[in-house]
Amino acid sequence: MNLIRVLLADDHKLIRAGLRLVVDQQPDLSVVGEADDGRQAVDLAKTLKPDVVVMDIGMPNLNGIEAARQIREIRPDAAVVMLSMHSDEGYVLRALGAGARAYLLKDSATTDLVQAIHAVVEGKSFFSPAVSKVLLQDYMRKLQRSGAEDSYDLLSPREREVLQLVAEGKSNKEVASLLNLSVYTVETHRAKIMQKLDLKGVPELILYAVRKGIIS
Amino acid sequence: MREHVLNSEGAWPSKKLRLTLLVSFGGLLALMVIAGLDALRLARQMHTQEEEIRQSFLAHTQPLLVLSSSIYIYNDRIQEYLLSQDPQADGLTAAEFSRLTAEINSTVSKYPENCQPEERALVESLQQLFIEQQGMLNPVLSWSREERHRQAWRFLNEEVLPQRSRINETSEKIALWNRHQLGATDREMFADFASLQARQTKMLAIALTAGLVLSFASILYLLRLGEEGQRRYRELAHSRAELEDLSAQLVDAQETERRSISRELHDEVGQSLGALLVEVGRLAASVPSDNAQIKDHVDKIKSVAETTVETVRNIALLLRPSMLDDLGLTAALEWQGREVSRRSEMEVEVQSSDSAEEIPEEYKICIYRIVQEALNNAARHSSAKNAKVNIEPTADKILVSVSDDGRGFDPRRVRGLGILGMEERVRRLGGIFTIDSKPGSGTTLKAEFPRPHV
Repeated sequence: MNLIRVLLADDHKLIRAGLRLVVDQQPDLSVVGEADDGRQAVDLAKTLKPDVVVMDIGMPNLNGIEAARQIREIRPDAAVVMLSMHSDEGYVLRALGAGARAYLLKDSATTDLVQAIHAVVEGKSFFSPAVSKVLLQDYMRKLQRSGAEDSYDLLSPREREVLQLVAEGKSNKEVASLLNLSVYTVETHRAKIMQKLDLKGVPELILYAVRKGIIS
Repeated sequence: MREHVLNSEGAWPSKKLRLTLLVSFGGLLALMVIAGLDALRLARQMHTQEEEIRQSFLAHTQPLLVLSSSIYIYNDRIQEYLLSQDPQADGLTAAEFSRLTAEINSTVSKYPENCQPEERALVESLQQLFIEQQGMLNPVLSWSREERHRQAWRFLNEEVLPQRSRINETSEKIALWNRHQLGATDREMFADFASLQARQTKMLAIALTAGLVLSFASILYLLRLGEEGQRRYRELAHSRAELEDLSAQLVDAQETERRSISRELHDEVGQSLGALLVEVGRLAASVPSDNAQIKDHVDKIKSVAETTVETVRNIALLLRPSMLDDLGLTAALEWQGREVSRRSEMEVEVQSSDSAEEIPEEYKICIYRIVQEALNNAARHSSAKNAKVNIEPTADKILVSVSDDGRGFDPRRVRGLGILGMEERVRRLGGIFTIDSKPGSGTTLKAEFPRPHV
């Protein structure tokens, strides 16, 4: 079994050292490099070809979000795990928009990092439980105060299935083969889901799924 | 600065000076009115005086002339009587003589008492002539016609004619005196006129001088007033600019300080705490699961560390939202909105466009702080259920509005430090800040900035 190559990017040595210890303890994970800032992370991602980049969202020179966007452009195969101090959806949404698949709060990074790396390697998403909690709370509060009905109820059972699979990171083709549907039908379902839930793009869809607890 | 203002207070033309000028103007006006009235009065007085002089002249010269001519007539009558051949005329002549005598006496008796010695002498000489004539006439009247006829020429030549020439002499003297009197009157009137003229000239000179002095003083006063006004205006503008500058510097200093503290907290304290958490996490993972007591301790340490991280993060965010630097204005405002929504009963909606990210940093900070203050105010005081934040950058303006459906207030009466602060921040960037609110109908805060040219 191949080792999963991990690149760590954080402007603080102490934190990097801590994360490295956590990763190195895992037999199937290996830290291939460490970056001080976003720009170095992009350069190292180019040369070291990591499978996973674990990156702090706020770094000097080039911040984590921009670095993630560039890494995903250069190496679409590399999955990004974003580390952040903030559980706010503004950060989460932009991290997802930049191509990150996992979003971890630094508080719980040591506990969740291994799980998150495994999830993104499998093409799934991962969010710190605290982030999911905050997102869900915001969503529920808004729903309650506005008195609007939960748009999830508007979805058909098939659409709910498609929503979950897309949110987990499956492509239209994968979804189609999993559900025994044509790619065209999956596309139609996706468009309907987006319309019914008033979502713009996959990041919002993932965020929605996290809020609803459909994915973790 | 304060001292400066106080000083200029002292230099400001005093009330006393203004009063003095006013009184002086009043005085000048009064002087001119008095001079005019005086001239009128004098003219009238001169007229009366002239009349009086004329009257007195007439009163003196007339009777004198009457007297002299009466005496002359008397003399004439004597002549006629001497030469007359008409017997019938005798009786008439006697009556005529007594009438003339009475007339002359009456004229003399009526003659004014207040006369000059020269005049008196003339009157007396006329009286003397008259008495002499009467003395001449008395023997003549007693003469018979023949005697009269016989002696007529002699008497005429010896008595009457010389008498006549004396009368003529006296008459001439009277005429001379008359002329002399007339000249004296003229001189008197001329002197009066000259004195009036002198007086008028003096008055005029005084009024003119006073007017000149007053005008000069007024001009000086006006100049000083204008200068003072200008100086005050400059001072005011200067101190205003200084104040604005100061408050701008204060706002800048505050932002810089906040940012540096926030960064310090985030970079140093935050990262150290993060490292601590990582270490504690590793420690927790490495504790054997059967050692419950140590695991419990480690968990407690971890919990305390997490709370501390949370607290430090919140303080740092309050001081300076890292979103603003990391994600931009819209994200920061959305975060702010959610934070307020979480803490309060008010749901916040943020509308902004991507072009909001293109505006300069100081505008972003200003907008962020205004929205922060406005939302906090709304959540704290207005009992609003909903609030809406709108950022609308156009080609030449940046429009910011924060509105809520709360209970509202009267912006003319409520003017807290928060509102003043917002106003100051907006004005610093050349914007206009308005509050539209009425008790019972929500509040809309608006800031309108001229779009800076980058």
